[in-house]
Amino acid sequence: MASATAMSFDRAVMRKGALIFAGTLLACVIAYLVHAVPGAWFPHASRATWNAHALALTRGTGFLQEDALVITAPDPKGIVLISVVTDFRSSDYPAIAWDVSNLGEHADVQLLWRSDSRPDRLNSTAIGVEAGRTLPQTLAKNPAWIGRIVGLALAIRDPIAQPVRVRGVVAKPMGMFEILGDRLTEWLAFEPWNGASINTVTGGADVQDVPLPALLATIVAISSALVLLASRWQPSFRRPAVAALLCGFFLAGWFVLDLRWTWNLLRQEPATAAQYWGKDARAKHLAGDDGPLYAFVEKARDVLPKSPVRVFVAADADYFRGRAAYHLYPHDVYFSPRGTALPPAGVMRPGDWLLIFLRKGIQYDAAQGKIRWEGNETVSGVPRLVEPGAALFQIR
Amino acid sequence: MEIVALWTGWLLVWALGVAVIALMRSPPATPVDAGEVPFLIGCGWFLGQFVLTLWMRLLSAAGVPFGVMTIGAPVAAVALVAGWIGARRSRGTGGIAGLLDGVQSAVRSLGGSSLGGLRRMAWLALLGWIALRLAILLFEVTIRPLYPWDAWTQWATKARVWYAMGTMVPFAGAPEWFALPTGAAYFDAAPHYPATIPLTQVWSATLLGQFDDALVNLPWWLTALALAFAIYGSLRFRRMTPLAALAGAWIVLSLPILDVHVALAGYADLAMAAYLTLAAVAWLRYADQRSPADLALAVLLSVACVLIKNPGKAWILTLVPGVAAAFLPRYRLAFAALFVAAAAIVAFVLAQTSLTILGYRTGTGFRMPWRSLAEAYFAFANWHLLLCGVVAVGLLAWRRLLHPTLAPLTITIAAGLVFLAFGFAFTNAGAWVEDQATVNRATLHLAPLLALWMILAFHDWSHAPSASAGDN
Repeated sequence: MASATAMSFDRAVMRKGALIFAGTLLACVIAYLVHAVPGAWFPHASRATWNAHALALTRGTGFLQEDALVITAPDPKGIVLISVVTDFRSSDYPAIAWDVSNLGEHADVQLLWRSDSRPDRLNSTAIGVEAGRTLPQTLAKNPAWIGRIVGLALAIRDPIAQPVRVRGVVAKPMGMFEILGDRLTEWLAFEPWNGASINTVTGGADVQDVPLPALLATIVAISSALVLLASRWQPSFRRPAVAALLCGFFLAGWFVLDLRWTWNLLRQEPATAAQYWGKDARAKHLAGDDGPLYAFVEKARDVLPKSPVRVFVAADADYFRGRAAYHLYPHDVYFSPRGTALPPAGVMRPGDWLLIFLRKGIQYDAAQGKIRWEGNETVSGVPRLVEPGAALFQIR
Repeated sequence: MEIVALWTGWLLVWALGVAVIALMRSPPATPVDAGEVPFLIGCGWFLGQFVLTLWMRLLSAAGVPFGVMTIGAPVAAVALVAGWIGARRSRGTGGIAGLLDGVQSAVRSLGGSSLGGLRRMAWLALLGWIALRLAILLFEVTIRPLYPWDAWTQWATKARVWYAMGTMVPFAGAPEWFALPTGAAYFDAAPHYPATIPLTQVWSATLLGQFDDALVNLPWWLTALALAFAIYGSLRFRRMTPLAALAGAWIVLSLPILDVHVALAGYADLAMAAYLTLAAVAWLRYADQRSPADLALAVLLSVACVLIKNPGKAWILTLVPGVAAAFLPRYRLAFAALFVAAAAIVAFVLAQTSLTILGYRTGTGFRMPWRSLAEAYFAFANWHLLLCGVVAVGLLAWRRLLHPTLAPLTITIAAGLVFLAFGFAFTNAGAWVEDQATVNRATLHLAPLLALWMILAFHDWSHAPSASAGDN
């Protein structure tokens, strides 16, 4: 950043700069609220929430698990329908937010409702899906959102590749404070380490109406533009002072982002400590996401010869194949990094080993001592270690 | 005890690098440049780490098994001898006094004693903030076992095998592996990836006496620490104040995606970023001062880039136009124009030609994933305001960007950005941008250099003579 020694820290200019920054911040917030508040800025109603226990699964298959309704399959027509009986004035609640996660990328989700003004009519509108989650739906301008809302429902058309979790539904008054609170909640949502962390840092909740970096960049950019404009006409805004102000705006924005990031990192520490603190290397493996796999590989290593042998790894999940191989080194391991396919039986030799973990489609014929998998590939083998869902064979 | 051995072993490697650079620089200039000591400390880590892996390759080629003594004893001996010769050489010239003054000054400056009032408070607060970040990252690195995917499918796989076998056995692709006898070659998800990073884990494991999935990753944390020193030193070279240089180090160290690559250690991208940045700094410094020490450092760091990750071969090429402009500043505009023309021709040809280069397929036509790029750079939290700052400084200081003091770095940055843009728009890497799988890791390689350029270009603009700030 600009060398501080060369800058003139004229207090009056700095005060003006601070006012510009604060004014821009305020203007941006107000502009956003004008755009985002659909009704009254200070509504009397408070948000109404129906949790998973209040929901009825009308079509599809699922069960209640802790605080969520877990949907495992749609009905034969490919539809899931969840409903809840409500009774509120539509004008008090211009937005509805379903808390649904694990949806497919192309899931078709519709919000349905009935109002007492036209009880015979079922109204609907599409709900957006982002990062597998439903987005809040503002209905203030929907002509069918009138009278008292006597029932809400959610219709999902999705093959349900993984169980969909529905935690509930919220009717939102969408006042100023609620909207600002929602944004803060999104920005400060804890983002624990996950498989994608090494590639990208979301910065709070998976779905955000206004990303904090974009907002701060906008504020810094507008403030800087105003200072540069002022420098055209204000003699006190000389280059060093302008540079100091621009630098200050930028670092202020950066610091706010870094504060959020540090807070997230600090919340990660107890989670990491709870999982691994005070454990030796072996105990850490057992406490990891692949603990059961590690336990099986540990037993397999006791069965395998001490000197390295060739081991083929089979598992349905890429994760388990890679992890099993990693735990098996320095044995001479082969695993398919992507895809479940095993290599042709012809490449396996007597004395090689085959480790299977949660892999469908591999059969063992004990009478003939044959292992068979897709494509009618067959190899002779002897089971040396067998556990539910896992086995270790020696190739003959 | 193992922890002590681990720290001692790595600090020894760090000392080796510092001693070798100090030896190359002796007798040092008197007085020692501002930033000389932190830069020497920072680069010392990278040089030491790289030399260690070269030594391990040599041991392996000679059939000498890895061990604490076979690896560590020569490292310690060279560190001692280099330090001793450096001290002796400097004694006669009084240079050692300059160096010691530099060290004392660096230690004193940690307390911010040269700063007054608010600036001292800001200095201490910033130092505390950086220390907190490093403490958090150290906790993660030393507690959490290898976590991210590629770490245990293509990097530490080699380390585990080499540590267990006591030497660098080869890795091969599936067809070769199927055909070879047991133990002749090993297989993992990327058998042809370079050995440098796994070798650092082998040294950790050798010091520990076991392959501890968490502790073997200590070099990632040390890399972050050393990078902070080197960035600070690089900015001080360019006449930045201590506080501004510290802010620069903080900017780099606080980048979330960089922090993730420290906390979730195991990938080579952090090392790639650090070595590339310092190779560029060393080349530009050599062009400026023509010191053989800088030349040696630049060459070694450049070679390291190639041996850390396969894209390092391309990254090193991106330094060429900027370095050429630094050596021949009179022709910098010609170099810039030449670079633009060459980049356009290469992009045009490769866009039409189906080739696989460094694992990336060309000939896919132009398809820039703008939306995903914008999300990665400006909406998600990967970069704080770095990319916004780069764009803003580019607009603000555009008239100064090809000024002799900035042109080499500007051209280097432009070459790096063109390389990234080409990869995203004209190769199959575009698909990995769309799902946010690659875009940030690829950009991380250039990020510290981008931050340096942003800071220096802004510094240059802020000091440019003009009647008012509006006169850009």
